[in-house]
Amino acid sequence: MLGKLLKHEFRATARIMGPLYLVLIALSICANLSIRILDSSPAAALTVLGAILLAAFGLAVTGTVIVAVALMVNRFRTNLMGDEGYIMFTLPVSVDQLVVSKIIVSTVWFIATAAAVLVSALITAFRIEYVEKAVEMISELIRITPGLQALKGAAVIVEVLVLAVTACASFSLLFYAAMSIGHSFSNHKKLLSVVFFFVIQFVMQTAGSLVILASGTLFKPWFSGDIEIIPSVHRALWLAVLYVLIRGAIYYIVTRIMLKKHLNLE
Amino acid sequence: MPIFECRDLDKSFGQVRALDGVNISIEPGRIVGLLGPNGSGKTTLMKLANGLLTPSGGELLINGSAPDRNTRAIVSYLPERTCIPLWMSAGQLLDFYRDFYTDFRRDAAEKMFGRLGIPLKQKVKQMSKGTREKAQLILVMSRRAGLYLLDEPIGGVDPAARDFILDTVISNYNPEAAVVISTHIISDVEKVLDEVYFINRGEIVLHDSVDAIREEKGMSVDALFREVFKC
Amino acid sequence: MKWQLRSDAPIYSQLIEHIKLGIVSGEFPPGGKLPSVRDLAGEAGVNPNTMQRAFTELEREGLVNAQRTSGRYVTEDHEMIEETKKDLARAKIKDFLEAMTRLGYGADEIAALVSEQASKEGS
Repeated sequence: MLGKLLKHEFRATARIMGPLYLVLIALSICANLSIRILDSSPAAALTVLGAILLAAFGLAVTGTVIVAVALMVNRFRTNLMGDEGYIMFTLPVSVDQLVVSKIIVSTVWFIATAAAVLVSALITAFRIEYVEKAVEMISELIRITPGLQALKGAAVIVEVLVLAVTACASFSLLFYAAMSIGHSFSNHKKLLSVVFFFVIQFVMQTAGSLVILASGTLFKPWFSGDIEIIPSVHRALWLAVLYVLIRGAIYYIVTRIMLKKHLNLE
Repeated sequence: MPIFECRDLDKSFGQVRALDGVNISIEPGRIVGLLGPNGSGKTTLMKLANGLLTPSGGELLINGSAPDRNTRAIVSYLPERTCIPLWMSAGQLLDFYRDFYTDFRRDAAEKMFGRLGIPLKQKVKQMSKGTREKAQLILVMSRRAGLYLLDEPIGGVDPAARDFILDTVISNYNPEAAVVISTHIISDVEKVLDEVYFINRGEIVLHDSVDAIREEKGMSVDALFREVFKC
Repeated sequence: MKWQLRSDAPIYSQLIEHIKLGIVSGEFPPGGKLPSVRDLAGEAGVNPNTMQRAFTELEREGLVNAQRTSGRYVTEDHEMIEETKKDLARAKIKDFLEAMTRLGYGADEIAALVSEQASKEGS
């Protein structure tokens, strides 16, 4: 059943993200060409065109990221909280499966968007002289700084990826929790969703700060500069993953309870 | 065993009592009307049957169990409003229902779409309001479910569409399934019903078969309704 | 076109009447097969259970016979069909006479009016 939910959720979202990625890639090619053109001190008209294309590319990058976030919010709102909810919540699936399918799909699109932006940046910078020089300088810098060497390991990449994925899921869940609380009221659903979005964050920030203060000894070494850099980078990353996981779990529980017991479809 | 049963069912929203001590028992093979004015609790009852709401007191049983994902597999629900996603095409709607419901008869549904002149590639947002309503009805009735719950299916609908809806209900009749139709427009529906429950302000005020009402009271259910619910 | 059904009498008894009319008028000929419950219910626009009840009653009266798997057939008993026709006619006449009496007509006047109207209609 979860597979089927995923299939239909991807169908619903790919029709928006797919074309956006294509536009992004197309504009990145244009951007690459624009840089080369601009570099060769061309005529005024071409300068303007180049500037416009570069601006368009920049907009496309921001736009794609914004759409990915907006899509995540909108899918939950229209598919589960709106009229479509009458169909979704009467399917022979569990509430968990409904929520998990949304998390998986939005996380996939966040990662895909990051990848698309990265690819488009690479295309834009393809064989552009000063970019290649900059990359060389950075690699050299990493080589000579002991602490930064930790960043070269595969382990770090894995940890960063895990953190990225968990952070995306937790990010989505924050919105889901806020919306599921907001929509449990009969009036001002959207307004209350926004309100609870901030309320939840405030509560979590406060709780997080309290936890850090309470576990003072745990973090002391950090502030005294008295540690080995490489293992502490790994430890930091895993602690971050744990922190994000806990927050995500709390948001998930809130969402689940609201959808199971306090569903209020109009 | 009754396919749909309510035992002293209560549902409150804060201070408001939407359902009060409701007792209902519906056997397979029956087409039952849930008749009452707006706000009498009909939709609340339907939502409870689907697990969209949880009872405040008493029990609601579908085939002997409380509503959960298993009962949802045998209940086919037509909500009051049109809920099919606007971006989907008719063909994708059929895929969707076939994927989630093993009892969905895709061929029959496709044929009915054809008869209504709905091309498979047509998107829901391109369909007229009336066509969307009929499409939704076709999807719901094309399932071989144990219990069909139709919430105000003929409410804001033209007479020809009403005939279509009631024809669909009759032609899909299955002696192992029950159909519950909630409505406040009775005259059209009466001939299709076996029995009726009158509901007012969350309470069941009458339960009888259509023919018994006509025989004993010498009036149609529609006329009786007007009498019982006189303003 | 859905069958015309009155709102003050039980549906099943009206269905019985309708089918009987079909039998005596030849729409459902003697020995002929009747449409299935579901088909006839759809044609009439009524609940199949109610149509089933009508069929059962007709079977009990003997006007209709159920042949195990092949369906239901109108009886070939012409006398019974004639008798049914007469019963239907008598019921109509009874209603007619009640209405005429309410208008204030006596039996002879009624008979005269009937002949006059019948010849006008050009049999």
